[in-house]
Amino acid sequence: MSTQNYRILHSDIRLNEEYVEVPRDDFRSACISIFQKHNAFLRLMFCTDERAYTGCFRIYAVFSDSSSDRFIIINSAVAEELSYPSITQDIPAAHWYEREIKDMFGLEPEGHPMPQRLVFHESFPQDSYPLRKDWSISETDLREWSEGIKVKEPYRFMRVEGEGIFEIPVGPVHAGIIEPGHFRFSAIGETIFYLDSRFFYTHKGTEKQFEKIGFEKGAFLSERVSGTSSFSHSSAYCMAVERMCGIVLPQRAAAIRTLLLELERLYNNIGDIGNMCAGTGLSVGYAKGALIKERLMQLNERVTGSRYLRGINTLGGVALDIMQKSDDIRSTIGIVAKEYRDFVDLLLQTLSHIERMETTGHVAKEIARALGITGLAARASGIDDDMRKLHPHLLYGSLNFESHVLERGDDFARMLARVADADSSIQLIKELLEGQFSNELASEYPVVPAMQHALGYVESSRGSLFYWVKSDPEGRVFRVKLRSPSYCNWSAMPFAVNGDIVPDFPLTNKSFNLSYSGCDM
Amino acid sequence: MLKQILKNLCSRRNAVNISAEAVSAEQELLRSLEGLRDDIESIYGRSLRIRQVDAGSCNACEWECTALSNPVYDIQRFGIDFVASPRHADMLLVTGPVSRQMELALIKTYEAVPDPKFVVACGDCAFNGGVYSGSYAVTGGVSRVLDVDLVIPGCPPSPIKIITSLLAFLKQRS
Repeated sequence: MSTQNYRILHSDIRLNEEYVEVPRDDFRSACISIFQKHNAFLRLMFCTDERAYTGCFRIYAVFSDSSSDRFIIINSAVAEELSYPSITQDIPAAHWYEREIKDMFGLEPEGHPMPQRLVFHESFPQDSYPLRKDWSISETDLREWSEGIKVKEPYRFMRVEGEGIFEIPVGPVHAGIIEPGHFRFSAIGETIFYLDSRFFYTHKGTEKQFEKIGFEKGAFLSERVSGTSSFSHSSAYCMAVERMCGIVLPQRAAAIRTLLLELERLYNNIGDIGNMCAGTGLSVGYAKGALIKERLMQLNERVTGSRYLRGINTLGGVALDIMQKSDDIRSTIGIVAKEYRDFVDLLLQTLSHIERMETTGHVAKEIARALGITGLAARASGIDDDMRKLHPHLLYGSLNFESHVLERGDDFARMLARVADADSSIQLIKELLEGQFSNELASEYPVVPAMQHALGYVESSRGSLFYWVKSDPEGRVFRVKLRSPSYCNWSAMPFAVNGDIVPDFPLTNKSFNLSYSGCDM
Repeated sequence: MLKQILKNLCSRRNAVNISAEAVSAEQELLRSLEGLRDDIESIYGRSLRIRQVDAGSCNACEWECTALSNPVYDIQRFGIDFVASPRHADMLLVTGPVSRQMELALIKTYEAVPDPKFVVACGDCAFNGGVYSGSYAVTGGVSRVLDVDLVIPGCPPSPIKIITSLLAFLKQRS
């Protein structure tokens, strides 16, 4: 083992979170060392404004060990210098986090190759950092931001120059019923040379809003961060707050959360397999996928009262004993399983559909690894990243299921990864319905301890989803950081479509099916 | 290939099965939609074309609008459809609390819709900002930006609710 090239100021372990404080100047070497030594994933980076207590900002980088259920969280205090050594050159997966921290807190990542704005568009005022505790903004600045007219420096898209190269701007308002984002294709003929994209049109100040509304209402807000991952978001958020407060989840609540996470994964994957048919022009497949998904949405509504599984998660447990409706779930899943199998068989027999997906939208393993791609998209590119296996949460540690890794990396691989996930969801749901669990639905929600913090995480249908929460000395919200899988995976799109033709883009986009709202926060 | 196609065509697997609950939902829908065609005809001459704009929604409202075109609800059979361009639209259906970074795009889309036009605020966020009300990054509802003709509350409103609200609105206008 090589000698350690960074100093440790302080370290403490709580649950599976190991916090290692290092001097600001050693932040980069500590991160690189952990990243390489443990073959780790960079899960998220964030910042807090502790100036009221310590006079400093604090930056955190959360790594997850790929061989044991442990998170190593490197953190450093950043004082009046308002900058820290960037890790993007060494760990490219950090590239967005560092730009986001600059937008939100005004800390400069020294040596970042492209430190331009990420979250805020040009009309947002300069030197204004919303997540600083002493931040305020004038009505005039808000109005000018909204109007988007007084722009000092227009956004620079990556430019490809040369004979015959032209740009195709798309969005933010798209032709279909989808979320807003801007894509700028540099194409020669039909072939895409480069795709630059711009997001955060749906930025809603969610993290600041968490600070405003308090821990208890936070569960309600977390359900509204990304519609089709409502239950994953509220589960991860509740888990973070529960771990911070030392709440142990009753087994029945854990079973219900696991079951509903799988129902959410199932409706998303079947819906997405169907949506990919819209990308290849296979109308019958699209209609069938939509029909099976609708059946699952109606099941959600009958079981929980919400088609999007909202209103179930509360801090400490769940609000409703859905196990009482197990007969309905069992019979509907039985019908869905059969229809879905026939549906997938039909698709796999349809050569025009398969051939359209093969080799399209290819993401190489090394690129996926460097960019920190997570979840289903990572598994389709040969990376074994499934939080249910790496960091077993809820009941996943005791359940019997497979997580499939494919090497192809193309649109077809992502379809097959969805099929594998849907198969395992059906199996898990059946297994959970057979289980016997105590009757308790929720633990008591205690007084929130002062100055405590914790991570919460789940494997959502799109991949790893994280919340990190911290309380202030009065037990109110000090900071909520959320990181959706889409935030990581959007970076893969320019690589996936490179060299493909422009009409491949909708198909590849559907194969990832990323959330804009979850990414934009 | 031909064999494959024949096999697919002959296979009963291709038959679309609609569940009992979906059928009852559909019958309920059909009952509630009697007369809708006449209403649409009297206002727009056979069709109502809607342009949907996401102004910062969490995407749940979008998926309910998408579900309107699935084989259960099949909104197109009533002469209602979602269109790709605002230039083809009679109605703008807006979701989300209108994030500040989408406000300009929303206004430009509205201006691109030819008169006469209606604006619908779909979902609790579009109504008054919902859970995002008071955030620095949202204006707090469509009515802060455009004149709203109809509000469809819900988080998200179900597909049935969206259709029945549109029906009630059209009846009132005809």
